[in-house]
Amino acid sequence: MSKSLVPHVPVSAAEVAPHRPTDWRSDAMERRVRRRYAAERRFRLMGLGAVVVSAGFLAFLLIVMIAQGHLGFVETRVTLPLDLRQARLGLTAERLRGPGADLALAGAGLERAVDAAANRAFATEGGAALLSDGAWLRVRDAVKRDPHLLGRPFTLDLPVASAIDVAAKGNGTPAAERTVAALGAHLSRGIARDFLTGADSTDATRAGIWGALKGSLLTMFVTLALAFPVGVLSAIYLEEYAPRNRATDFLEVSINNLAAVPSIVFGLLGLAVFLGTLHLPRSAPLVGGLTLALMTMPVIVIASRNAIRAVPPSIRDAALAVGASPIQVVSHHVLPLAAPGILTGTIIGMARALGETAPLLMIGMRAFIAAPPDRLTDPATALPVQIFLWSDQVSRGFVEKTSAAILVLLVFLLAMNGVAIFLRNRFETRW
Amino acid sequence: MSSLTLLFVIAALGLVAWVLARTRARRFRRGARQRFSSLPQHHGWYVALCTVVPALTFLLIWYFVSPALVTDAVLATPRAAALPPAGFDRAGILSEAREIAAGRAYGAFTPLADALAPAYAAAQARFDAIGTVIALLLMFVGGAWSFMRVRPGFSARTRNERLVMVLLLAASLVAIATTVGIVLSLLVESARFFRIVPVGDFLLGTRWNPGVIDPRDPGATLGALPLFWGTFFIGAVIAMAVAVPLGLMSAIYLTQYATPRARRWMKPLLEVLAGVPTVVYGYFAALTVAPAVRQAGAAIGVTSASSESALAAGLVMGIMIIPFVSSMADDSLAAVPASMRDGSLAMGATSAETIKRVLVPAALPGVIGGVLLAVSRAVGETMIVVMAASGVATLTLNPFASTTTVTKQIVDLLTGEAAFASAKTLAAFALGLTLFVVTLLLNVVALMVVRRYREAYE
Repeated sequence: MSKSLVPHVPVSAAEVAPHRPTDWRSDAMERRVRRRYAAERRFRLMGLGAVVVSAGFLAFLLIVMIAQGHLGFVETRVTLPLDLRQARLGLTAERLRGPGADLALAGAGLERAVDAAANRAFATEGGAALLSDGAWLRVRDAVKRDPHLLGRPFTLDLPVASAIDVAAKGNGTPAAERTVAALGAHLSRGIARDFLTGADSTDATRAGIWGALKGSLLTMFVTLALAFPVGVLSAIYLEEYAPRNRATDFLEVSINNLAAVPSIVFGLLGLAVFLGTLHLPRSAPLVGGLTLALMTMPVIVIASRNAIRAVPPSIRDAALAVGASPIQVVSHHVLPLAAPGILTGTIIGMARALGETAPLLMIGMRAFIAAPPDRLTDPATALPVQIFLWSDQVSRGFVEKTSAAILVLLVFLLAMNGVAIFLRNRFETRW
Repeated sequence: MSSLTLLFVIAALGLVAWVLARTRARRFRRGARQRFSSLPQHHGWYVALCTVVPALTFLLIWYFVSPALVTDAVLATPRAAALPPAGFDRAGILSEAREIAAGRAYGAFTPLADALAPAYAAAQARFDAIGTVIALLLMFVGGAWSFMRVRPGFSARTRNERLVMVLLLAASLVAIATTVGIVLSLLVESARFFRIVPVGDFLLGTRWNPGVIDPRDPGATLGALPLFWGTFFIGAVIAMAVAVPLGLMSAIYLTQYATPRARRWMKPLLEVLAGVPTVVYGYFAALTVAPAVRQAGAAIGVTSASSESALAAGLVMGIMIIPFVSSMADDSLAAVPASMRDGSLAMGATSAETIKRVLVPAALPGVIGGVLLAVSRAVGETMIVVMAASGVATLTLNPFASTTTVTKQIVDLLTGEAAFASAKTLAAFALGLTLFVVTLLLNVVALMVVRRYREAYE
C-alpha cells in the first residue's frame, strides 16, 4: 500500500492528511521488524558472549594452573641400587635402635655413600648429579625404619635433580632430555611428599609449601582473634546503641572508607607503626596478622551490620517488653539470629585476607625461610607470598611448584567460600 | 612468668572472683523478702569484669610500652656508651642484642651486641616482673573494691551494661584509630620526604629513576608524573576498556535475559573471578598473558613490544574487575523503576531497545559511580602490576610498551636494601599518600553520584 508511512521519509502534512491505519504486513514494515528482531538477537548474544568470555577466562586460568600444577605434586625418582656395607659407615643395626640413632645417622657420611653409589650405577648418565640434594635423606629414613638394610644390598627409588625432573615431565633442556632417555626404565614417578611437608628451599625438588601454609595459618589466627571480636562488637555498637550524632557519622564514614583503602596502604601502616614505631619483629606472623586484621575488620563490620539490621525490630521490641535489658536483647536475641550472616561475612573477609599479598610484602614477609615457624614471633612467610617468591625463581622446576601452590591456595579459598555459601543457605532466615 | 601463664592466671582469678561474688549475692538473697534488681550472676559478672578488665588493659599497654623502657634501661648501662652515636648501626646492634637476649639468635655478628645481651635480658626480666606485679595488684584492688560493693541494694546489672557499653565503644574506636594511624603515618613520613624533595618536583617531574639519586638534587630523578600516567593508563584506561563492556553486558544479560535458573549459577561463577587472589592473576599475567600479548604485538608489526607491557597487566586487571562492575551495574539496573521499563515495552519497543534507550540511560549515574569505584580498586591493585608490569617509568601511549605504576614502585622501593629514612624509602610513603588521597576522592565522588541517583528514584 502506501509507502509514505515508512518513517524517516520526510512527508508533508498534506500527503498524510487522509489518515489510514498502518499496514503491518507491508514489505517495508516486515523488513523493519525483521531488522529490529535481528538487532534484539544480536544484543542478547552480546550479553551471553560477555558472560561466556568472563567465565571462559576463569576456566582458562584454572586449566592452565591445573595443567602445570598437577606436576608439582609428582616427583620423578630413579631406582638406585645401594650396598651400604661397602661404604663402611660404622653403623650397626643395634645402634640405630637406641636413642642416639639420629645423631649416629647424621654423622655417618651417608650422603657420600649415596653419591658414590650413584656414581657407580649411572657413571655415563651423570652420576651423583642426577640425584636431588635431598635424596640421601630418603636413604637415611629408609635405614632408620629398617636397620637391617645396612647389612644387605637393596634398591631405593630416590628423587632426581630438578633439571632431570623437569625433563622427565616433558619440557627440559635437550641435554637433560637425553639423560632422561638414557635412564629410561630406571625412572619412575611418585607423590612428592616433600612438597606437602617441607618448607622453602633453593632446590625445586625439595621446596615445599608446609612452611608457608603454617605461616599463613598462624597469621590468619592472629587476624581472626583480633578482627572478629572487634568487628562484631563495633557492628553491635553502631547498629544497636550508637547515638545519632556527628561522632557516630564520622565513625561510620571512617569504617566505610577503610573498606575501600588499597591493601598496600595497610602494608605501609604496618611498616611505619608496627615495625617502625613499636619495633615488633620483622617477618613475623604476629605483625602480618595485625596488619591483615586492620584490613579485614571493616569487612566484618559491614557484613555484621547488614546481618544485624536484617533482624526485624519486632523481636527487639518483644524482648524489651518483657523486661530484658538492652544488652540482654542483643546477646540473647539479636546476635543468635544474626550469627549466620556474621559468620558468612567473617569467612569471606578471612578468605580475602588469606589471599592477600601486598601488605605482607611491605612488612618483610618475603624473606627466604627454610623452616616452618613455631611461634607467632618467628620469621615466616605466607602462602600467597611464597607463590610470589617462587614465581620469581629462574629455575624451571619452580614453574610447576608455583602452580601447585596456587592450586593449594585456591582449594583453601574455595573451601572457605563453600562453607560461607553453605552457612548462608542453611541458616539464613528471610524475615 | 611468661605472658601465656599470666593470661591463664588472670582468667583463673576472674573465675574465682565470679564464683565468690555469686555465692555472696546468693547468701543475702536467701530468705530475703524484698525484690532485687540484679541476679546473683550479675554480681558475679560485675566483680569478674572489675577484676580482669583493668589488668588486661594495663598489660596491653605495657606490651607496647615496655620494649622502649627496656631499651632505655640498656642505654643507661655503662657498656652502651660504646655504641655508635646514632643511625642504622646503632639500631642494628640493639636489635641484634634483643634477639640474642630473647634466645632467638645464637652468636652475634658484632661483639658489642653479645656484650649488651645480658643487660638486655636483665632489663627485660626486671620490666616483666614489674608488669606482672602491677597487673596482679590491679586485679586485687579491682576485685576487692568491687567485691565490697556486692550488697542487696547494689544494681550490678546496670553497672555491667555500662561496662559492656564502654567495651563496645572501645571496639568501634579501633576503626578511627586505624584511620588516624594511616593518615598520620603517611603524613609524617611524607613530610620528611618533602623536606628533602620539593612537592613540585615530585608531582610534576617527568624523570623517575630512584636507582640513581643525586644527593644535591634528589628531586631530579624522583618525578612521579610517569608513575601517575602509568597507573592511570593501566588501571583506568586499559582495565576499564575490558571491564566496563564485559561487566555491563554481563549484568544486562543476567538481569534482563537469563532465566532465574541460569542466573543462579552464572552469577556465582562470575563472582569467583573476584575471589581469585591477585597474586594468582599476577602469575597468570606474567606467565601466560604477557608472552601472548608480546607475540600479538609482534604479529601486528609493533617491533618494540615489551614482555612487560601495559596491555598484559591491564587486560588481566580488567578481567579481575569484571564482577565488581557487573554487580554495581546489576544494582543500578535493578533500581530503575519497573514502570519505566514496562512503559517502553508497552509502546512496542524490543527488549534491546528498552535496555539501550531507557534502562541504561536511567541507570547511567549508578553505572558511572560503579565504574569510578572500580577505577579506585584498579588503581590500588598491587600484585598484578608487581608481577606483570615493568619497573621502568616511561611516559607512553603505546599499550605494548612497558609502563610502571605507583603500587609497583612502592613495592620496589620498600623491598630493596635501603636504610629506613633514606629518600628512597620515604618516597614510597609519599606515593602511598598520593594513592590514599586519590582512591579516597574517587570513592567519595562515586558514593555521592550513586546516592544522588538513588534519591532521584525514591
